[in-house]
Amino acid sequence: MSSGSGNVQNGPAVSTSSKKSLRVFSDDIWKNKTAKINAELFTLTYGSIVSQLCTDFQRDFNKVNDQLFAMGYNIGLRLIEDFLARTALPRCDTLVKTSEVISKCAFKIFLNMTPQVSNWSNNKDVFSLILDENPLSDFVELPMDASKELWYSNILCGVLKGAMEMVQLDCDVWFVSDVLRGDQHSEIRVKLNRILKDEIPAGED
Amino acid sequence: MAIQTVLIINKSGGLVYQRDFLASSTKLSSNDYLILAGTLQGVTAIASQVTPKALQISGSNLSKAANETEYSIPYAGPLGVKDQKEDMGSFLPPDYFTDSFASWSKSGLKHVTTDQFSLFLYQSMTGMKFVAISTQSSTSNMAVSFAENFLRKAYCLYADFVMKNPFYEPEMPIRCELFDKKLTEFVQHL
Amino acid sequence: METGQPTEITEQQRAQLQFQLFQESLPKVSTSVFRMLLNEMVPLSVAVEDKVGENPGGQHETSSKNDLEEAIASNLSLKPCIDPPSHKLIAEYAVADEDKRLRIKARLNSMGLQIGKKLSELLIFSNNPNLNFKDMDLLTVMKFICRDVWRQMFGKQIDNLKTNHRGTFYLFDYDYRPIQCLALDGDVSDLELNMIDPYLEIPCGIIKGVLLSLGFDAKDQVSCEATVVDLPDTKTGELGSFPKGISFNVQVLLQ
Repeated sequence: MSSGSGNVQNGPAVSTSSKKSLRVFSDDIWKNKTAKINAELFTLTYGSIVSQLCTDFQRDFNKVNDQLFAMGYNIGLRLIEDFLARTALPRCDTLVKTSEVISKCAFKIFLNMTPQVSNWSNNKDVFSLILDENPLSDFVELPMDASKELWYSNILCGVLKGAMEMVQLDCDVWFVSDVLRGDQHSEIRVKLNRILKDEIPAGED
Repeated sequence: MAIQTVLIINKSGGLVYQRDFLASSTKLSSNDYLILAGTLQGVTAIASQVTPKALQISGSNLSKAANETEYSIPYAGPLGVKDQKEDMGSFLPPDYFTDSFASWSKSGLKHVTTDQFSLFLYQSMTGMKFVAISTQSSTSNMAVSFAENFLRKAYCLYADFVMKNPFYEPEMPIRCELFDKKLTEFVQHL
Repeated sequence: METGQPTEITEQQRAQLQFQLFQESLPKVSTSVFRMLLNEMVPLSVAVEDKVGENPGGQHETSSKNDLEEAIASNLSLKPCIDPPSHKLIAEYAVADEDKRLRIKARLNSMGLQIGKKLSELLIFSNNPNLNFKDMDLLTVMKFICRDVWRQMFGKQIDNLKTNHRGTFYLFDYDYRPIQCLALDGDVSDLELNMIDPYLEIPCGIIKGVLLSLGFDAKDQVSCEATVVDLPDTKTGELGSFPKGISFNVQVLLQ
């Protein structure tokens, strides 16, 4: 199991039950409780989707980005229930905690990766997820014409946006860099616009 | 404790699922169930409002440890899941959960009881409410946590067999045979 | 090679075991997200069709100035357009006209084809003992599809394979996973059949892609289409909720 654990900052452990850290909790779900398939199959399936979109939109990569985002959004709206049913984690009272749950738990139990959280804004409403590995884009090389415009893994932004909206967090999510484009690292930016207070179910404090 | 009825209520208080598991039980009309769903939604909201303010404030300021013991639901055993293979969908056997878990409804309605029956309510963070009506009057904490464990598992079935059904329209009535089947099997194995 | 070990297992079993261990050692992702991605391809195709279908190529006729403005706008805005929810898109397919449906299906088929082409490479390079290159006739390849390809994609094998030994094959899947959870009452209406229709197009593409990549690649040599069939009596009632099986009909022209 290569989860790149050496790269991950050892943030303060968020307690989920009295004993376990979020990391241990998520590792356990991934290792013992998750049905798995070959990452490569996932990679090539996603690849066929992106390449089809590039053809369909006649290599208008901005449209491809939008479409991948929209697809992810529709997945996120539903995937969140799976995540909550699986983890039953308590509501995060700060965005800092939310970011940890996303990186250490959500990414871990679905894609077996743990992006680093960094680049916090001063008032802690914007953060970055640095993807050291990315099963969506393993072995992918962007064609020349796409390398300035296409955000290959943009589906991730859509998923995050959709999922967070369902737990009443209105966020913007976007890529700022991608190793596929020759950048140093792949970075997703997440900005919390507001908490949809009216929609938080009664009964939660 | 036998489960008589399971209801699912969406985040706006609409009844999206209702199923009786005991043939003998007195049936409510579908209209009555709709009213029950709306009422539960309303009472949950009110319960949350009447929670003394002092308690709310101290609740959020409590130390982590105290917070957890107060708002976590103890694990109540596999509830028969062990006996059935694969029936919890992607929630792998023998038992997906072995730990206590957080309650998302800290100040909302969780439990209604009369001398004849009990009603339990589990609410997800997205606002879905899962309701079980049992044939016994039970007031013990154990019964409540048992019911919440049961309902969380029903939530898992919902996440798998309803939300992953590409044809299902969120927030709308659930007509999903596979979900019906899984839930029935689960209730029967309790 | 260690030869001193007691040879209680046959060479074939050992190869199988090695293959299995190798498969287990590969990087993994959760099956749930893979299934969701796969299922989401259908509404995706409808959404794309809504955007480009009407006048293919017509979009480019607009003046380049407009394009530029659009590009700037979409770069500035952090809220890309969001499509209608997936179930609406699927419902849209069910009532679309024949031409539109064909275009959506062609899109899905083409994605399946690409998956199939690469999938066979993936499975072959993993020293799969079920695949013997020495006598790889068409039947062997079809068995490979029924067993290995299907298991990779859908977590189960094809239930029944029939052939006339002259290039026609029927692959029966009585529990086709992507539509397993489809909400249906006992009888399947035409509208509902229309809705599952596109979900059968991806595997058709995959089958074609695998055959293509394994040498059956002459133009129009392979065709594949799926039909809904009744379940055999032995299978009724014990399976998931979808009351019908799927038959993938493959036709390979032999030269």
